[in-house]
Amino acid sequence: MDLSSYLPILLLITMAVVFAVANISLTLALGPSRQGPVKGTTYESGMDPFGTARKRFNVRFYLIAMVFLVFDIEIIFLYPWAVAFPNLQAGTTESWVWLGRILFFLLTTVVAYVYGYRKGVFRFD
Amino acid sequence: MIQKIQSLWPEIVLFATACVVMVVGISPSVAVRRSCGVIAGLGLALAGLVAIDWPGPASSVVWPALAPYVKVLVAGVGVLLLLVLAGLPDREYEAAVAHGQRYDPIRANRAEFYAFFLFSIMGVMLVSGAEDLIWLFLALELTSLPTYIMVAISSSRNRSLEAGVKYFFLGALGAALFLYGFALLYGATGSTNLETIRQVIAQQRLGSEAVNGVALAGALLAVIGVGFKIAAVPMHFYTADVYQGAASPVTAFLAFVPKTAGFVALILLLTTIGWGYGPSGQSLPEPIRTVLWVIAAMTMTVGNVLAVVQSSVKRVLAYSSIAHSGYMLVGLVAGPGPAGAPFARNGIAAILFYLLCYGVMNLGAFAVMASLERRSRSGATEEADSIDDLRGLCTTRPMLGWIMVVSAVGLLGMPPLLGFFGKLPLFTSGIGAGEIPLVVVLGINSAIAAYYYLRLAALALLEDPDVTPVGGGLSENAPPGRKFAGFICAAAVIGLSALAWPLINLADGAAKYEPRLTPGSAVSAREAPIVPSADALTEPRAASGRP
Repeated sequence: MDLSSYLPILLLITMAVVFAVANISLTLALGPSRQGPVKGTTYESGMDPFGTARKRFNVRFYLIAMVFLVFDIEIIFLYPWAVAFPNLQAGTTESWVWLGRILFFLLTTVVAYVYGYRKGVFRFD
Repeated sequence: MIQKIQSLWPEIVLFATACVVMVVGISPSVAVRRSCGVIAGLGLALAGLVAIDWPGPASSVVWPALAPYVKVLVAGVGVLLLLVLAGLPDREYEAAVAHGQRYDPIRANRAEFYAFFLFSIMGVMLVSGAEDLIWLFLALELTSLPTYIMVAISSSRNRSLEAGVKYFFLGALGAALFLYGFALLYGATGSTNLETIRQVIAQQRLGSEAVNGVALAGALLAVIGVGFKIAAVPMHFYTADVYQGAASPVTAFLAFVPKTAGFVALILLLTTIGWGYGPSGQSLPEPIRTVLWVIAAMTMTVGNVLAVVQSSVKRVLAYSSIAHSGYMLVGLVAGPGPAGAPFARNGIAAILFYLLCYGVMNLGAFAVMASLERRSRSGATEEADSIDDLRGLCTTRPMLGWIMVVSAVGLLGMPPLLGFFGKLPLFTSGIGAGEIPLVVVLGINSAIAAYYYLRLAALALLEDPDVTPVGGGLSENAPPGRKFAGFICAAAVIGLSALAWPLINLADGAAKYEPRLTPGSAVSAREAPIVPSADALTEPRAASGRP
């Protein structure tokens, strides 16, 4: 079986491994090793960490993120549609079908928005 | 493209209904909220009518009438499922609201529940119309993803959550497997279009008489991955826990909807390989046939043997659903036979008909379980699940008891009932295809199944009611829709057997097999030349013929 087309992948993997191993061993060999309480902190020259990282976040953050996704997806589809739409002949059946499709799609995103609104995503009390 | 959209009207109707349901279901007014189950039912019925009325262009070249049959089937059984599901979501929360708690939409999940129900059924419909691997993958996932959440939110018990998480992770594993299979199929043939894949595989075979190894590996991975949806061995491990953890109505849903999607997907996938190999020229290529044969035999046997030792009715029904998948896999091994084969030989028609029979009979049994609840020792109500709860049901609650008896005896395949007419074509197609050992396994398994089905029926019919129950005895607070759906199912198990012949004709029409090898036409139209397997493996872009 001819596997020559996989050669670049093999090279890439080799390079990745060599790079990682070389960096770690060079650091061990050449770098000075100093230990101390400041050296051991989470952010050596940054802020002092406080509290625990395992805090519970309010679920509303995730809801906001999901509502954002709705608009994100919307723009992803709207943009190519808007670029392609002017190329259609005005007034033809095809152009109306295209318009109808995007309006239907917009309607579904409106439904998602109404749903989020009714669920109380935008209510912070 | 516009033609394709025209064949999607049932799905569009369901999608629009789901959008309405999602907004209506979180209304502050109780009356409006309550209506969303009715809206979902109307949408589903409308989708079914549209599917009958709207033949549209044939989606699959090989199975021109498959999609409409499947769409009408899932819409019809879906309405019954909805009757059983109605009243399940938000039951405890709505009771709290009725006692004066303020309604907070974020704590309710009725809207999502019905919307996901509709999305899942839409997924099955999309599977049946798939003509492309990517479409097929998305449709299968659309069927499954809502079910994971439906399991988790079906009741407030921790067990439902556990079941949902288990179901999700194993489902993701199955999806990864069949997606890898799809990738290999694409690599071997240079196209994701099912019809082009079929043509390319057929053309490659003309040259070398053997199926491309990469395509075979892809098809095998896809079969095993889709096996998760139908709960076939070795992807059956989740079944008992998930079925028991979910609330009974959702379990009934799981036993029918993903299974239908899985079988339709398997039919479409194996069509690309085709039933044109072996000495008779009517079976699958040897590696796939062997694997399917073993999976079918193992699935039946594992399901039936494990069902015998269960003491929970839902676990019995879970293992029995595994066994039924095994029965249907026999039809897949047998294949559709030569073009124009009679119904008795057409294993695909047998599967399509059996899906209808199984859906109705199984739903009857689950409707009974969903209608009963038991007061536990701690005083809380829980679902009736123990097999002892059925004791003397025909005396205490004649209607539920008789529904259980009819459903269990029907699932067993007793002659005058629907189950018999469902199983018969599976036997005859297996015999017609010369798969005698597999048919013998099927026969032995039907005998094993008799033990636990008759136990279910006998407990309800012959035993005395339990006078000193463990907890506080059975009660029946479920909405009347469940009993009604169970009654319809039991009536169908008896009544449809009189109509078996027209229904069989319908299934037969849906499984009309027209494998045509159009030399050059489909392939050259898409510029996919015939390529040897090694080239296809290393250079998929060259195989598709595009620069």
